Amino acid sequence: MSFLSPSSIAIAAGITVPPLIALYFLKLKRNVRLVPSTLLWKKSVEDLHVNSPFQRLRSSLLLLLQLMILLLGALALGKPMFEVAQTHESTIILLVDRSASMAVMEADGRTRLEIAKDQAKQIIDGMDEDSRAMVIAFCDRASVVSSFDTDRDALKRKIESIEQTESASSLGEAMSLAEAYTQNIIIGSEEAGADRPPDSIAPPASVFVLTDGRVEDASTVTLQKFDLEKINVRRIGARQDNVGIVAMDARRNYETPEMLEVSATVENFGPQAVTLDAVLYVNGDTLDVQTVRIGAAAPAPEAAEPGGDREAREMDDAEPVHVVAFDNIEFGGGGVVEVVLHVDDALSADNRAWSIVQAPRHVRVLLVTNGNWFLSQVLGTLPLEFVTMTPDEYESSAESEIQEGDRSIFDVVMLDDHSTSRLPLGNYFFWGGVPQLEGVATGDLIENEVIFNWDETHPVLRYVAVETLFVYQWHRLSLPQDAVSIIDGQTSPVLGYLSRDGSHYMVSAFSVITHDDAGNPLLNTDWVTSLDFVVFMQNAVQFLSGSTSTEAKRSIVPGDPMTVPIPPNLDEVKIHRPDGVIDRVPAAGYDTIHYARTRRVGTYRLDPALPGHELFAVNLFNQVESAVAPSATLALGAGVVNAQAGSIQVNKAGWPFVLLALLAVLLLEWVVYNLRVFV
Amino acid sequence: MAVLTKSKAKELLDPDFMNRLDQLSLISRKIFAGKMRGERLTKRRGDSVEFADYRNYVAGDDLRHLDWNIYARLDRLFIKLFLQEEDLHVSVLLDVSKSMQWGEPDKSLYARRVAAAVAYIGLVNFDRVSLYGYANGLQYELAGVRGRRLMAKVIDFLTKIEYDGSGNLTATGKQFAIRHPQPGIALLLSDFIDKEGYEEGLRYLLARKYDIYALQILSPEEMEPELAGDLRLTDAEDADFAEVTVGRALMNRYKRNLEAYCGGLREFCTRRGINYMFTSTDVPFDQVVLSYFRRRGLLK
Repeated sequence: MSFLSPSSIAIAAGITVPPLIALYFLKLKRNVRLVPSTLLWKKSVEDLHVNSPFQRLRSSLLLLLQLMILLLGALALGKPMFEVAQTHESTIILLVDRSASMAVMEADGRTRLEIAKDQAKQIIDGMDEDSRAMVIAFCDRASVVSSFDTDRDALKRKIESIEQTESASSLGEAMSLAEAYTQNIIIGSEEAGADRPPDSIAPPASVFVLTDGRVEDASTVTLQKFDLEKINVRRIGARQDNVGIVAMDARRNYETPEMLEVSATVENFGPQAVTLDAVLYVNGDTLDVQTVRIGAAAPAPEAAEPGGDREAREMDDAEPVHVVAFDNIEFGGGGVVEVVLHVDDALSADNRAWSIVQAPRHVRVLLVTNGNWFLSQVLGTLPLEFVTMTPDEYESSAESEIQEGDRSIFDVVMLDDHSTSRLPLGNYFFWGGVPQLEGVATGDLIENEVIFNWDETHPVLRYVAVETLFVYQWHRLSLPQDAVSIIDGQTSPVLGYLSRDGSHYMVSAFSVITHDDAGNPLLNTDWVTSLDFVVFMQNAVQFLSGSTSTEAKRSIVPGDPMTVPIPPNLDEVKIHRPDGVIDRVPAAGYDTIHYARTRRVGTYRLDPALPGHELFAVNLFNQVESAVAPSATLALGAGVVNAQAGSIQVNKAGWPFVLLALLAVLLLEWVVYNLRVFV
Repeated sequence: MAVLTKSKAKELLDPDFMNRLDQLSLISRKIFAGKMRGERLTKRRGDSVEFADYRNYVAGDDLRHLDWNIYARLDRLFIKLFLQEEDLHVSVLLDVSKSMQWGEPDKSLYARRVAAAVAYIGLVNFDRVSLYGYANGLQYELAGVRGRRLMAKVIDFLTKIEYDGSGNLTATGKQFAIRHPQPGIALLLSDFIDKEGYEEGLRYLLARKYDIYALQILSPEEMEPELAGDLRLTDAEDADFAEVTVGRALMNRYKRNLEAYCGGLREFCTRRGINYMFTSTDVPFDQVVLSYFRRRGLLK
């Protein structure tokens, strides 16, 4: 035991003990009583003096008890502590990790979040009376669970209310929030119109980070006010075994859209190889099962291995990462594709992944041309639907003819020698013309230049022999800096690609057909007569249309908002969450709603089912969270903090026990006095 | 406690109780010769109607006492002998030390009631009754009253006694033995808590071969004192004091000592043929007289 205020003991004892002893040495005032005879009383007194073996003790028993009472009171004033932890500042900040990896169930039956909450409560219990604490829970975002408070019960209630999420973890916002709350900022001044610089008073704070260390952005955290030495990282958890799905892709075969191709990348983060069944469900029906063996993960250098031995890890030839491919799945409709890993591991949130697939359909292409036999012929050979408009028709057509809402109704709009600013959301290929966007322009005509360079790895050039491409002339093409040049001439891009505001643009600097001065059509390239051109057109259409026609709708990571375009006259959208809760989101007066309560993995169904937005999939797909082995250190900004494991050593106030002892002795003294023990 | 006034004389013995006492008489295990012929038989041969023995007839004997039946059978003359009747000396020694004025009810009143009852019985039966009050020696004396009509004198004597001084049984016993050599019943009414001890005083009485009855009277307050804390206990007789802190241990020890003291007195008396009786003032005194004394053979 130690004492926080030892001087109090000396002062209290010095003030009270000497007077008590002095009183016992003063002559007692006795009441006079008449008795028939003192003969037997004297004899009795003499007998007690002679016979009592502990007379000396009995004679001072009450004195001893009263001295004990005074000394215990003095000890209580000295603020005794049974366990003295490292001294903390009077300001305590608790950062509690509630990301997906904190859902791991440890050996004692508690999840890591529950362990973290228990340790947080222990820290609260060890607070001094004049200390204050705040609690911040963080996952991908940080939220203040409790601002600074001295009420321990209230703080513990707030800690208990922290809920588990399936999001990734980000510490930066939590640290920034904590630093902001510790500052006392004074803004403004008495002078009109003037603002003084803020006077920030940041009291020293002890920061406790209760986490398993699976924090992606810890190394990028910048500490403005906190002292790294005052940051205590409590390592929560010990389990390392986990297998999770870190990526999933579901797409329809381009040529046979009725066939589905699903692949799931499964990674083993544990020290032991694992054999598991991967099951494919489509709309709840089991369509395929594969048994896979995944090797043990390579041990991470910073991973904590309590009692572990690297030699004990199972040696296995299997790789720790395996792509489970489900091919040739016949599924002609739309819905939810789910891959489930049947394995008993630490984290279940990454054992399932979902993907939303649309019903199969052919690519729809709009060819805007005044007549281009070559383009028409090639497009006609491809497995797609295409319609033709003249540029005038395109420009003058009603909105409903080419777009639905703000999106083009065509998967690809191919414009032959026509520039336009009429560009609803969609995918465009410009032959000779340009999208009228900022940074995109054509210049002078370039003749007799050769194709100088090309990106042969680009999907549109796959299986295309660009070296045989010959173009008579092209316009100098200016593209913005974020554009990708696929084919370059000597002085200008010949074929480029850019994305802008959700639309994708492939821009060719040359037209297939040019005209002479008399207006006679001239073939500008012989490319159109080669098989390479057919391959190129197929590649280009597939490349531009792939995100809307064959690929599954991209999933959302937990915590990211779903963006849903709202049709007119819709007052409310119900969102059926994977946890069974139905959220009602007001939609009246909005073109788009953003729904951010996506911290649970699974599928979210909208009601009413809005076309193209009936379902959303939220998947963890986070290797940092799936690698559940707690980290022994946490890199914070430029420094590294060692994470401490084990239970919290907190100051355990001893004064309640001392007071209890004092009350017990007081009671004993009362009993002794009333039992008329001789003093 | 104030000396009993005449107005309270009747409280010593109420008339109903006195009627009951009329039926009783004092007896002694040892039958003594008295100065006058009382209603008591003595071992001396006398003219009473109580047959005692035979002897041969000699000239001059009273022919009325010849036993003619024996003459008829044996043809010899025998004279009947008869027990002589004589009075009994009853001495009541009353402790009038200051310590007897204690308790509720008062020990002194209690003792005087017992003394009055015994005296009445003796007077009714024409015994020679003597009453003494003693503290440090004999201080009050009413000697040799006989007959019922002198009961008033007894009451007057008892009511005028003043309680004072320290008890000294040794001096008392010595004085009594010297001044009153004739044997008889000696009834001591006291608490017997004597700083000088009781043994020597009783021995003086034993030497005169009295039929001694010792009635130890204590009050409930002496037996179960309600004392606690830091006290200065002052002796009622000699103003001696003891500074004590009364607690459970001391109280228990006191009670044990009291019990041992009384036990010692009882044993001393029993070993020496003294009739010892103990009573507390919360025991009705008539029970002492009618029950205790009868059981002990003092009354019949």
